[in-house]
Amino acid sequence: MSQASNRDDASPNWILQHPAYQQMKSLEIEDSAQVHAAFLVYMDLTEVRRWKAVSCAKSPELQVILLEGREKEGAPVQTVLPLPAHRSLSHQSIRQALDRGFPVLLCAVASDSTLVYQRMTDGLVTPDPPAGPFQDLGRRQHRKRRQKH
Amino acid sequence: MDERPSSSAVAVSLCDSAPLLWRVDDLQAVRSQGLVGALLGSLPRIPRQNLRLGRPLLLLPEEEELLTERRAAAALPVYQDGEGAELRLQVKQHLEDQKRSYEEQSVLALEDRKAALLRAMTSSHTVVVLSESGDEALQSRLEALDRSFTFPSSALAVQVSTARAGLSYRPEARATLHASRPLRGQEESSCHAARYQVFRDLRGRGFYLTSAGKFGGHFLVYPGDPLRFHAHFIAVCLSLEEPVCLLDLLAVARLGSNVKKTVLLCSPGPEGRVQYTSLQWSGMV
Repeated sequence: MSQASNRDDASPNWILQHPAYQQMKSLEIEDSAQVHAAFLVYMDLTEVRRWKAVSCAKSPELQVILLEGREKEGAPVQTVLPLPAHRSLSHQSIRQALDRGFPVLLCAVASDSTLVYQRMTDGLVTPDPPAGPFQDLGRRQHRKRRQKH
Repeated sequence: MDERPSSSAVAVSLCDSAPLLWRVDDLQAVRSQGLVGALLGSLPRIPRQNLRLGRPLLLLPEEEELLTERRAAAALPVYQDGEGAELRLQVKQHLEDQKRSYEEQSVLALEDRKAALLRAMTSSHTVVVLSESGDEALQSRLEALDRSFTFPSSALAVQVSTARAGLSYRPEARATLHASRPLRGQEESSCHAARYQVFRDLRGRGFYLTSAGKFGGHFLVYPGDPLRFHAHFIAVCLSLEEPVCLLDLLAVARLGSNVKKTVLLCSPGPEGRVQYTSLQWSGMV
């Protein structure tokens, strides 16, 4: 991508001509900002993170483009929901994405193309406990506090 | 988790619109039902700190509603004091007690001074044997003390009781505690209804809930009594159709991961079931 910006005869519309983008365009989603976001996430997953078997699909209930892929060969399929960061989302939409049956990653795309991924799971997921090893501070804490006064 | 229906109701006294519990029995009863509340009062023996607070216990609106639903709470009838007559009587009583205490204490103080004077005079007279003139001097000094001695009111010792006897119910109020009387009229709002549904569902699953103002959510969800566990979840209650800005979602999820709690999106769904979605930081840098 940096090479394209150096060349004078580089087409500024390389995104529009990219086959993956054209495939997404063909799914006929009205929200072009969401399609653009989906494309950026697609490039991140395939080129940067090297995910396998990344494909795009249209979600009729949400009217957005979803991406599906595997982190590694043989890993389970995950759904990625790309959205522009200024958009709003309802809990209902999240449930519809989860209804597809795969683990869902929400990806927020900022205006500078920064990508932020968030895991969404159905049900109550207990957080990981704090990692050890634990050291009993004992009197050290109280000694420190007394020194301050 | 014991859900025994309480045989007697706890008495909730309303301070403006805040539901408060004052009696220790009521606090224990409410805790045994899995409702935590928040202590507000200062403890008389350790007043200048807010790590350990005392009664009254403030109930969350959801807790109050749950108690009402279980018919386990009733509002204490408002005590009518006709034009403050009783209060004036109490003040008069208190002033009279103070006056009596002052008179007793001044008598004792005078006796103390005389005894001290006597000791001082007799000890210095062991060497000099002056019988009559010595006695006369002593007498005159004692009489002078009698005349001139005043007990300053600033030296008055006042007893303050740290165990208040007045927090038990008046007998007539106790008799009229009906559990069937509704606490007060509830204004329904969709967000309030959503929060109450979520509260009831999570409480029914055995979790303990407290308010989560410090973490930007609605409730903190503990797997057991908050005195024994750290919270596992920050519950954010919203209706299924309510749109939430993506940036707010990211902010609360990031906060949750910083404090090692999972953010829980809770929405009451169809058929009274509540839908939960856990948000976790993906860790994908």
